[in-house]
Amino acid sequence: MKFSFARGALALIAALSLASCGGGKATFPINVNVSNVLYPGLILSTGGQEVAVAPPADPTKSVDVVFPQELEYGQTYDVVPKGQAVNSDGSINYGANPKHQTCSVSTIYPYNLPTSGTAGQLAKIQMYYVCAINAYPLTGKIVGLTGKGLVLANGSTASAVSVTPATDTAGAATGADIALTMGSVAYGTTYGVTVLTQPEKQTCTVAGGANGKGAGTMDDAAEAAKGVNDLLVTCVNNPS
Amino acid sequence: MKSSILRAGVALACALGLAACGGGDGDLYLTGSITQGVTKDGLVLQNNGGDDLAIPANATSFQFANRVSTDDQFDIKVKSMPSNVSNCYISNGSARANYYTIAQISMYCVIKTHKLSVKVNGLTTSGLVIVNGTDRKEVPANATTQAMADVYEDGPYGVTILTQPTGQTCTVSGGSSGNGSGTMGSTDLIDNVVVTCA
Repeated sequence: MKFSFARGALALIAALSLASCGGGKATFPINVNVSNVLYPGLILSTGGQEVAVAPPADPTKSVDVVFPQELEYGQTYDVVPKGQAVNSDGSINYGANPKHQTCSVSTIYPYNLPTSGTAGQLAKIQMYYVCAINAYPLTGKIVGLTGKGLVLANGSTASAVSVTPATDTAGAATGADIALTMGSVAYGTTYGVTVLTQPEKQTCTVAGGANGKGAGTMDDAAEAAKGVNDLLVTCVNNPS
Repeated sequence: MKSSILRAGVALACALGLAACGGGDGDLYLTGSITQGVTKDGLVLQNNGGDDLAIPANATSFQFANRVSTDDQFDIKVKSMPSNVSNCYISNGSARANYYTIAQISMYCVIKTHKLSVKVNGLTTSGLVIVNGTDRKEVPANATTQAMADVYEDGPYGVTILTQPTGQTCTVSGGSSGNGSGTMGSTDLIDNVVVTCA
């Protein structure tokens, strides 16, 4: 008798606790926090839903957005900038990002939370996106370089770039054109390439860029051209 | 009888185990990561006031020669710094050694910066813009000097004209390479780079 009473009590407790789990219908809002949004254009999407993220009045603050429809237990989500995909040629379409920016998932603990999953896996669906200003390459070529020791710099912005002359199979300098890569420049900032150290027995001058002398601004035109690619460093022999 | 043999055996095993852990040669390598700022030789770290460890330029990690034992106290301090840094900081450098605590050690140094101030000669009109990489400065008419952003010691600088002023043409000279660019030394660079307008 005592035994069966205990069983009955257990069954009752179990039933009550199940009921308390079910109570109402649990749904899961998809919460996204986005920081460093400086320009409009970001649209996040998951499963046909979209939410636009506008830059905040105070650019140092982050933006919290919630997708319009909450998920039910077991529904999956995968939040990306709308249209993000890998193209057939292997390149990446980053989707609907803010103008001049690209947003990606935070990599910093404890904000490096998954952007995809199944509702109910975690108590709350929350993720953190961080947007960064796009940077574009600063490239061109060097002509006539035969001396060793040429070092170029883009001001104090990045490490200086050392360039060695092209050589033939015997190791003699040929003076052939050399591709120049100065590192990337963020949208909206300036660049100014100078000769930090002249090569042995030669003098090099910098041309190209927006002002024709190796300097300019990574502006809309440069962004549309996917960077500056017309730097021209010309090296001539010093009079002997 | 049997149980007393077992006890003795256990005691022996314990003694051996302790012996293996003790001495100067422990079971844990005392290592750490270097996140930034070590661009020159001269950094020396110490553990518990000894075991000097010289760290070469551009190292990204360090490991003391002497190993430590689990539960030993370690205390890593900077004995000397590279000449181009203002300070070095160690995180989690002092604790009792175990697999967790020795995996948490990191350090970085802060490289000194120095002022870069450009002398301006002959500028009478407005519109001059000079840049040092991404550092952009608009120079007002009749200015005789223009401060740029600070530059890291041993780091490059290169001042160039982005936009010429109205009706004048300016050129840049000076700096350690003579054309307005160079490598920052160990003191402020005042009036060494010169913009001359005519």
